[in-house]
Amino acid sequence: MAPTRTSPTTTTPRRRQPLQLGGYLGLVLAIAIMVLPLVWMFLAGFKERDEIYTVPIQWLPEAYDLSNYAAALAAVPFGNFFLNSTITTVIGAGLKMLLGLTTAYAVVFLEFPFKKFVFGLVIFALLVPQQIVMIPNFTLVASLGWINTYQGIIVPGLASAFGTFLFRQHFLTLPISILEAAALDGASHWTRLWRFIVPISAPTIAAVALVSIVSEWNEYLWPLLVVDRADMMTLPVGLTLLQNNDGVTNWGVLMAGTVLVTVPVLIAFFALQKRIIAGLTAGGVTG
Amino acid sequence: MPTIEDLHSGLGRGPHRGTASVVAVTTKASSAGIVNTVSTPGVRRAFTPRKKKKPWKSWLLFLLFAGPNVALLIVFTYKPLLQSLYYSTLQWNLGSAAAIPVGLGNYVSWFTDPGTSRVVTVTLIFTVATVGGGMVIGLLFAVLLNRKLHGRGAARTIVVAPYVLSGVAVGLLWLFVFDPNFGITAALLDAIGVASPPWYNDPHWALVMVIIVYLWKNVGYVALIYLAALQSVPRDLLEAASLDGASPMRAFRNIVLPLLGPTTFFLSITTLLSSLQSFDIIQAMTKGGPLEGTTTMMYQIYQEGFQAGRAGYSSAVATILFAVLLVVTLIQMKYVEKRVHY
Amino acid sequence: MTATPTFTINRRQILKLAAVFGATATLAACSGPSLGAGAGAAEAGLTDWTGITPAKEITWWSNHPGTSKLIEEEIIRQFQAENPEITVNLVTAGANYDEVAQKFQAASGTNSVPDLVLASDVWWFRYMINGQILPIDDLAKHLEFDTADFNTTLYDDYTFTGNHWAVPYARSTPLFYYNKSVWAAAGLPDRAPKTWAEFDEWAPKILAVGGVTPLGLGKGTSWAAWWFCNMLWGQGGAYSDEWTMTLDTPEAIAAADYLQSLIYDRKVAAVAAVDQVADFGAGLTGCIMGSTGSLTGILKAAAFEVGTGFLPEGPKGPACPTGGTGVAIAADRTPEQQLAAGMFLKFLTNSENTAYFSSNTGYMPVRTSARDGETMATVYAEFPQFRTAVDQLETTRSQDWGRVFVPNADKELTTALEKIMLQQTAPAEAFAVASTAIATSFDENVSAYL
Repeated sequence: MAPTRTSPTTTTPRRRQPLQLGGYLGLVLAIAIMVLPLVWMFLAGFKERDEIYTVPIQWLPEAYDLSNYAAALAAVPFGNFFLNSTITTVIGAGLKMLLGLTTAYAVVFLEFPFKKFVFGLVIFALLVPQQIVMIPNFTLVASLGWINTYQGIIVPGLASAFGTFLFRQHFLTLPISILEAAALDGASHWTRLWRFIVPISAPTIAAVALVSIVSEWNEYLWPLLVVDRADMMTLPVGLTLLQNNDGVTNWGVLMAGTVLVTVPVLIAFFALQKRIIAGLTAGGVTG
Repeated sequence: MPTIEDLHSGLGRGPHRGTASVVAVTTKASSAGIVNTVSTPGVRRAFTPRKKKKPWKSWLLFLLFAGPNVALLIVFTYKPLLQSLYYSTLQWNLGSAAAIPVGLGNYVSWFTDPGTSRVVTVTLIFTVATVGGGMVIGLLFAVLLNRKLHGRGAARTIVVAPYVLSGVAVGLLWLFVFDPNFGITAALLDAIGVASPPWYNDPHWALVMVIIVYLWKNVGYVALIYLAALQSVPRDLLEAASLDGASPMRAFRNIVLPLLGPTTFFLSITTLLSSLQSFDIIQAMTKGGPLEGTTTMMYQIYQEGFQAGRAGYSSAVATILFAVLLVVTLIQMKYVEKRVHY
Repeated sequence: MTATPTFTINRRQILKLAAVFGATATLAACSGPSLGAGAGAAEAGLTDWTGITPAKEITWWSNHPGTSKLIEEEIIRQFQAENPEITVNLVTAGANYDEVAQKFQAASGTNSVPDLVLASDVWWFRYMINGQILPIDDLAKHLEFDTADFNTTLYDDYTFTGNHWAVPYARSTPLFYYNKSVWAAAGLPDRAPKTWAEFDEWAPKILAVGGVTPLGLGKGTSWAAWWFCNMLWGQGGAYSDEWTMTLDTPEAIAAADYLQSLIYDRKVAAVAAVDQVADFGAGLTGCIMGSTGSLTGILKAAAFEVGTGFLPEGPKGPACPTGGTGVAIAADRTPEQQLAAGMFLKFLTNSENTAYFSSNTGYMPVRTSARDGETMATVYAEFPQFRTAVDQLETTRSQDWGRVFVPNADKELTTALEKIMLQQTAPAEAFAVASTAIATSFDENVSAYL
């Protein structure tokens, strides 16, 4: 927050009253639209089949038992999905941050004849959506024997474009004095990056990392293409296995699965919302 | 405090003249850790450049630091871009070891296919509705959240929450919300005596449905960015306008909106890029149907490449889309070079 | 502080980069598929199976038709007990036949090709012309499959150029399901309508019950164009005569007109939004044409008593397509793996397991011995509904090539039928678009390999 700017308004002029009321109405409406579908999902996870397939709809389940969750866990290996999502997210986001930091450092602090071109190359990659290059990448990954492997899921999306951009922007704002001190110490560039720059950039790094983690966790299209074994699937990919077209769509089980995928992220989001929001505000899309 | 940017300026990089550079992510996030560059065109601080010694050593270090990232980009972004261009000249079934060169045949097929006009229309409607709609609703939310109302902090968090959820999960949960027999929308519409539209069976309603879901998921992000920008609008400026007797609407139009210009430009690029790439929601909800009413060009690339297995044709569509994207971005930048002043 | 990071993509840089790519595009031609060399079906008789040791581990891709994952796992467990030296990995490769097939196509040429894969009616032919599956006759002879015991129609569905390319597994036909309570409320006899003409007489009575749509219809690929065979053939029409599309015949148009009149003129039928089976189970529709494979699911889901019957006949008599899936062996595997796959396939489709699978899902017993065996007899006694599908098998016929043998044909036909059902498009117009597209696909993808 920037409390310094908000000049304290102690009294609200009377004519503003209806406007305030409208404001609260808008706020309530906005929250309702955002929350209602999530509540619906959550309740459906507890409903028996005949409570779901009923007209008119029934909002609350008769009993809050976990049979749909048990069915979802029995139908597909959620434990594996969770593990795979965690592994690919931690490694993927971690390496991506590392690449972003070193590249940004190089672009800002090191000399190179084609530096501008290199930076241009990195930034231009932001304009190349993943889908444009997915067929060649799929062919390459398949020929490397990387189908159904972590490296197959992680490596093709590893390069950091937006992260590099954000870190560069941040590095440009760092006070020179710190770096001069480091240079005088005779510290190597590697040491300068990790001992001096990273610590003072921690908030930025944390914010960018969180956004990066969120997008890795939710990544869907690429893992869908390169994984066909259930035990190697990530959560979003595995979730769709619960949609069975041949049998009977079972909303209760499907919603239970959806809860399992969304609730951990929601909890993490509410716990870390300040930093995540900072990251989103700085970045938006991660590269 | 002199910063590295000043140093760069001092070294003769100069202000960003003639470049379509500055995109404002106006933010008040500094307290939360993001320190942003103060864009100060015109600052030309004299600064003594460090003495250059052994430039090759720095070059080598540069390669060590930036090399891996650049190599990855070349292998997984740039090389495939060229390959895609080449594949687009083949009649090639994905998975098949052999292909037949057909020159521009795939392009000719796409442009002459009777279904193409529908795909283009769907793409245009989806893009305009999600980008434009997202900005309008996002700005409304931002204005609302910028008012001094109790609980606005919590509201901001809730509005942004869907943005961090998996698109697949969001698609699935909304699929159930929209179920014409057993879903919420059916019940709500029934309460006011309206029959549920055929969300799943009518191509037009299905498109409306995926647009609504896309907006629900992503509008919080736009609101967040606009909110950050709004909070940086000097309040005394508005108060001055208010004293001058300007109505809030006029003050907003004449003072706030122009100040939001750079933010709007930034959002127009980022939301356009993410809207064009949207896949999760369409895949989870409609799989491009019914009657291909929700098949965007991006979804067509997936469908042709990985479902129909027509890798060459799919690459041709990808190339066309990329060309369009490039042109649109260039136009956006050219436009902004003329119109947005800092 | 308010701040403004600079987004330094500079227009000139982009143009420069774009130019570089254009100029070097030709360089990229050094990777990808080789040019010109033809693909085509795998050849028979290349492997001498004697003296080959079966591989230790094989993989089977399935979507567990009819929610049969536990049943498939049980069969695997028994196989491994009998053949401890072979491990079978069951992989859920998709939620339906189309997804499994798309994965299988994409996996071609990679090291993740499975040894066994489901090959549904609309996909096996495409696997074959792409050279992805093995003709199984030699292997079956070597392993002494009792192929004569297979239902001839179902086994011969996989014949082309004198070879069989798959073995029948989860085979089904559409079946007429009706809600007995609705039937009773409408005062109808407790049976399926014999003909569509009879259904036309009954429909107003079902409508009169109130709150129930008489007939529920399903949409979607691998589905709509399957049950429509019933109306199409019943009118004397067909999708194609061998490779020639015949959707422009008066019979085909009449079938689509009839379908459209059910929905729009008489309003006695509606297309399900998501899942016709769920709608039926919830009592929203009075009857549906469903797969026999959904039988167990429907019996479980419905709170009312479910009746089953033959599909109604058209003016030209009974008409019911075969469908469902077989299992094929991948061509791109070692003889050792193929032999092990063959051994498992033999076990999977032996008389005992056929009965076990059928009785737990509702899919057809694909072997005569299983159909007439004890397991099924017990099931028929308890659930007479199971018997209907087996009896109906006598009147079934294999599908038209124009739907099942041409890549994307099913998708095109589905689109045409959805236009007819959902948008009231004139049948002639919708069919013409599909016919043209299928003919093009035939020229591009099939004719070269014949």
